[in-house]
Amino acid sequence: MNRIEEARIFLKNKCHHAYRRELSKHEWSQISKEIADPALSMEDRAALRLKKFLENEKIIRHPGEKIYAWRTIKSFPDIYAEGEKEQIFASHYIHEQGRVCNISSDWAGVLAGGLLTRKTGNRARDITIDAVIEYADRYQDEALSNAVRFGAKHYEDALKLLRILHFSLWASNVYHNTLGRFDQYMYPFYKKDIEAKLITEEDALALTEEMFLSFNRDSDLYTGMQQGDNGQSMMLGGVDRDGNNAVNELTYICLTASLNNRRSDPKINLRVDKNTPLSLFIRATELTKQGLGFPQYANDDIVIPALVNYGYDIEDARDYTVAACWEFIIPGKGMDIPNIMAISLSEIVNGVIRERLSEAESYDSIFDSVKRSLSERAEADAKKLSPIYIESAPYQSVLMSDFTHDISEGAKYNNYGVHGTGFSDAVDQLAAVKKYIFDEKSVSKDELLSALRTDFEGSRTLLSLVRNNAPKLGRDDECTAIADALLNAFADALSPLRNERDGVFRPGTGSAMYYLWHADTLPAMANGHLPGERLPANFSPSLLVTDAGPLTVIRHMARPALLRVMNGGPLTLEMHDTVMRNQEGVNKVAQLVKSYIMLGGHQLQLNAVSRETLEDARIHPENHQDLIVRVWGWSGHFVELDTAYQDQILMRTSYQ
Amino acid sequence: MKGRIFDIEEFAVYDGPGIRSTVFFKGCPLRCKWCHNPEGLDFSPTRVTKLQLCMHCSACDSVCPSPGKCTGCGACEKACPKGLIRIAGREVEAKDVADQILKNAGLLMQSGGGVTFSGGEALMQTDFLLELNSLLKPLHTAVETSGYASENVFQRAAKEMDLVIMDIKHTDPAVHKEYTGVDNELILKNLSWLMQSMIPFRIRVPLIPGVNDTEENLTSTARLLEGAKALEMIELLPYHTAAGAKYASVRKEYRPGFDTSIRPNAITEPFLLRNMEVHVL
Ligand code: SF4
Ligand code: SF4
Repeated sequence: MNRIEEARIFLKNKCHHAYRRELSKHEWSQISKEIADPALSMEDRAALRLKKFLENEKIIRHPGEKIYAWRTIKSFPDIYAEGEKEQIFASHYIHEQGRVCNISSDWAGVLAGGLLTRKTGNRARDITIDAVIEYADRYQDEALSNAVRFGAKHYEDALKLLRILHFSLWASNVYHNTLGRFDQYMYPFYKKDIEAKLITEEDALALTEEMFLSFNRDSDLYTGMQQGDNGQSMMLGGVDRDGNNAVNELTYICLTASLNNRRSDPKINLRVDKNTPLSLFIRATELTKQGLGFPQYANDDIVIPALVNYGYDIEDARDYTVAACWEFIIPGKGMDIPNIMAISLSEIVNGVIRERLSEAESYDSIFDSVKRSLSERAEADAKKLSPIYIESAPYQSVLMSDFTHDISEGAKYNNYGVHGTGFSDAVDQLAAVKKYIFDEKSVSKDELLSALRTDFEGSRTLLSLVRNNAPKLGRDDECTAIADALLNAFADALSPLRNERDGVFRPGTGSAMYYLWHADTLPAMANGHLPGERLPANFSPSLLVTDAGPLTVIRHMARPALLRVMNGGPLTLEMHDTVMRNQEGVNKVAQLVKSYIMLGGHQLQLNAVSRETLEDARIHPENHQDLIVRVWGWSGHFVELDTAYQDQILMRTSYQ
Repeated sequence: MKGRIFDIEEFAVYDGPGIRSTVFFKGCPLRCKWCHNPEGLDFSPTRVTKLQLCMHCSACDSVCPSPGKCTGCGACEKACPKGLIRIAGREVEAKDVADQILKNAGLLMQSGGGVTFSGGEALMQTDFLLELNSLLKPLHTAVETSGYASENVFQRAAKEMDLVIMDIKHTDPAVHKEYTGVDNELILKNLSWLMQSMIPFRIRVPLIPGVNDTEENLTSTARLLEGAKALEMIELLPYHTAAGAKYASVRKEYRPGFDTSIRPNAITEPFLLRNMEVHVL
């Protein structure tokens, strides 16, 4: 058995859990007292915390192992003294855990230059640099010790260094630590070694596989909504900062490494455009076939101009990657908070229909009310976001392109992202009202309103009409104009707003976990949605539409108005895994993806699922410990999800 | 003109080259014991119910004016409080079917794909088929047929297609009759005409365990195909156990008449020996 195969089995059997321990009560209070010292600034405390954490970590080395670092301490005290946190949190807006998250480091810069050049004389940040160097030195590996100080020289050192830097980032209490454009920042090292014949492509693959496996070592300890939601996303492919195609050998090596490992981390994203050859889509579809729910595709033709419209410099826009799930961010330069709020589009539309329909004279007046209501909601919700408090993050600051100030205070880009949930159900509500109330006048306003009030009790025929026969996005072409109008209305509602850091608000088509939360409170709606029913994740046709075909779906979802709604959030297609049972099927799925990109679709996520397997996993979870599914913007083990998430996955339509 | 179809499937992966939309024609003269489209057998409309969610309230039955022989009136569809009913095979205009498919024409063409007419048996509605076919041109079109049709009908239709996909279920007339309900004489006649024509065609063998997956039957199938002018490939389709799942939803009983738990043998040698391209789907 080779080294990598052994490592896979070791991980799968969770043998490394034996290395872990909790601090004793005594240690905890000792350390806590030292770090959470009110005499120290928050910045110094955060630096000291990382130093202590790494000092307490045990060094584990397996024979033959090239990529180090196993987490041995499960949890560590934070930096707040008694009552301090509560006080700060009470007087500020707190995003999630109040810490830096969901951003992408300047991996290219640090790997090439090392940490020493990033010393600026700022005490806290310099302490973190020394702490990480000290930690790296404890592995007694000269190449690593040099790399961490002065930058890597070879592919292997660069990987070793990335691992230590990224591991330390988790230890520093920032989270959703993304991996950015790996095939870009690693390529110079790879290329040099290959040209000098120091390594072969096979060596590089083995190293990459070991590296990718290392991201799964500690992921169960990382914070997230559900097990697996840890933000370790990676972007491959795309163009360079000058706009040249930058797909390289490593792009393919990474796809292969992920395919061979079959692990949920890193979560692979692939940048493509209208000129991407079918062969790359085919390679990527072979990965999709493994059923891990990735790669997720992003379309450079659409994303880059959209980011420029939001005010990103063109070179930076070309360098985009994704945050934890799918939100577009700029490595090294962004302190965007791309998931700071979510608007339930279905709720807005439903509210307008219930309140305004009886006086409305035309469909246009209904739609005007939707616009107004969206603007009011956006403005009111945006007001709640300040003053924001984010814990100081000296070590993450060191890893940014501009390492001269604390990242928690902002960076070159400080935009906020807003999810829009229930998009398709909102469009379908409008379509039903337009058609039956205003165009055909076949349903009276009172009839619809009283049906909504009674959850369609006693209005079965109307329910059947709006639920099954009414125009639906993903099936009926009447909906596409409404979809564009709603996207534009969403963009219009946010475009006048600025946050306290002078950033813009980017509307998006993602949902995160809001597709469950928002669905919980939705009443009966004009598209036949009944209370308690689910919404689709992200940007997909309503779950009520069970007879949409994938061609119509990709055509409908590639909306031109997306150019203004580009926070991120993919069209999600579920393919029954038998579709990809042979090469012909794989090629055709690849062709379908390419078609969506050619049509101008922005982002796509494709899952290979087998309903039979999922259903069996509900009954016999013990037989499906390895079953990985895509949830919203991340992949995780099906059996470890809460039932609500499992249910929603089972509701999605899969194409055979 | 009007015809009856029971489905249009977008992105049919195994029905010819490229990305295709497949139109399923209603009605079939055969009764293959393994049929996995039972809703397509009768020419008349068929009520299809999603049984997993049915609460057996009988609202559908109580409104039905014609129990036992569905007229497609749609009363049950409207009556079901959970929207579980679909009427398969109402009459449709060829023009409407074509319009619906043509909305995705760009996608179909770009991938070198097109449209496949399947069923049921598309040749049972020849005029409707030919009208629909002409409305869809210049898209690449294919017919997927049992070959059970009069020679005149078969040739008229085949000549209009870019590709014919034809089944050979068994070479032995008696076994053929036992498992499909019809003799294979007409099928073999149409096959020999097709072999001499220049129309590109593919042969499909649904592999049924213990029925036709024997070395002997596949060898005689391969022999039959020797000398064909435009045979592209042979596709072997192993029977899969999900085939019986739909029967209950159309109130039919599944009586396969063979052991469904055995996986069929996909023997490719007889074709490979004769230098024929063969795929197992
Ligand atoms: S459509 Fe339904 S109600 Fe009408 S005849 Fe057929 S089964 Fe009966
Ligand atoms: S009306 Fe619907 S729920 Fe009631 S028995 Fe018929 S199919 Fe089942």
